[in-house]
Amino acid sequence: MSKKPGCSTPLFIVGIILAGMFLIALVYGPLGSKILSLTGAQITAPEWMAVGKPEIQLKSEAVVHLSWFTITNTLIASWLTIIVLFTFFFFATRRMKLVPGRLQNLAEIVIEGLLNLISPVAEKNARILLPLFATIFLYVITNAYLAFIPIFDGPIYLIEPNGAHAPIIRAANTDINVTLSIAIISFLYTEIQGLRIHGLFPYINTFFQTGKLRDGFSHLIKGKIKPALSGLAFGFLNLLIGVLEIISHLVRLLSFTFRLFGNMTAGLTLLLVATFLVPYILSIAVYGLESFFGALQAFIFGILTVVFASMSMSSDAEH
Amino acid sequence: MENIGINLPLLIAFLINFGILFVLLLVFGYKPILKMLDQRQAKIRESMEQADHIREQTAKSEEQMKAHLEAARKEGQTIISQATQMGEKVKEEAREDARKEASAVIERARVEIDRDRDKTIEGLRAEFADIAIMAAEKVINESLDKQKHQKLINEVLEESKLFKK
Repeated sequence: MSKKPGCSTPLFIVGIILAGMFLIALVYGPLGSKILSLTGAQITAPEWMAVGKPEIQLKSEAVVHLSWFTITNTLIASWLTIIVLFTFFFFATRRMKLVPGRLQNLAEIVIEGLLNLISPVAEKNARILLPLFATIFLYVITNAYLAFIPIFDGPIYLIEPNGAHAPIIRAANTDINVTLSIAIISFLYTEIQGLRIHGLFPYINTFFQTGKLRDGFSHLIKGKIKPALSGLAFGFLNLLIGVLEIISHLVRLLSFTFRLFGNMTAGLTLLLVATFLVPYILSIAVYGLESFFGALQAFIFGILTVVFASMSMSSDAEH
Repeated sequence: MENIGINLPLLIAFLINFGILFVLLLVFGYKPILKMLDQRQAKIRESMEQADHIREQTAKSEEQMKAHLEAARKEGQTIISQATQMGEKVKEEAREDARKEASAVIERARVEIDRDRDKTIEGLRAEFADIAIMAAEKVINESLDKQKHQKLINEVLEESKLFKK
């Protein structure tokens, strides 16, 4: 291999080939053909290059109808994720040794890395919060990365009698039920931890601080007007803040759900559109982008859960 | 809500899915791995403590060995100096003996010499007496009783001896 400044010869050849493919795909693909047809040229793509027009579906599609339940393609993807993760950890921890083998070492690196990731945020609660954080992170990232396997959203379709067709498996993160289910668990976990640490009434008190209001009423009974008025004013303000606090907790549920759903669905849509417009080539770049977003969204979902949970667990929470 | 596909049975299915995954990973992932990490940490700490202990002990025994060596050297030096002293003493004694013997030999030789000399003097005296008697006989032409002569001569010699002294 000749070493020149810039790039090596094989890399250069690969680059040339890719550039050529990109040009061909651009010209024969729907995007290029449409533009060129405006100039009067008639270009028809060869049969093997034709990519079907994408049909963007927000809903997950049903694959198997049971009498009381419908198995969707996202549910199948989620089962696949569970099987992959379980298999990995089952074999990694089957015969644990003090001097680890490769698989055990990998699993340990993953878990220890995640623990170190949340340690600065959760401090002493890191070990308590690790299982939830790691499960959310691994679930979301595995859902996202498994979707790179070409059987997803792809070649295997289920054609129904009425002509509708659905891919047999579809990235689980693009189903709002998945993101909503994780968000509900994250929300419930946060609130339950808050209740567990503080107890019921002290936890409610972290929302509604009634101290000022009580002071105001006691002053009112004693007939001191000025402190009574200020006490009542601040008391009602605190009640209002409490309502806002509750709304902010509930909004987290929505923001969790739609952040992940939006990102992942947009990624899928972008991938389909890119594959259609410039066949074969543009999707490579989109895959690179999506692998970054998959990891990022998994991290954001997990770390926000940790932040909210450790906030509600700490003694001076919600100020 | 229907348009984006929220669906209660499906939502419950995904909740159950997440729960299953959580439990599986907890049992087969986090718990054994964290346990193993803790165990390894404990083991490493223990080993390091042990290594420190061994290092300490080695240093201590080295010091002890040094002390032993020092003591042994001191003892050796003491023995050597003692031996030197003893040798010196023996040499001195030998010298003393030699000197004594030499002086004894000299003394004996002197006594012998003295005796020889006395004997010679005695012989000379006797001969001299004989010669004197012979001379006197010749001079006075009279033969004297040998015993009387002898007595006379001895008297003279005694006198001369006294005189000498």
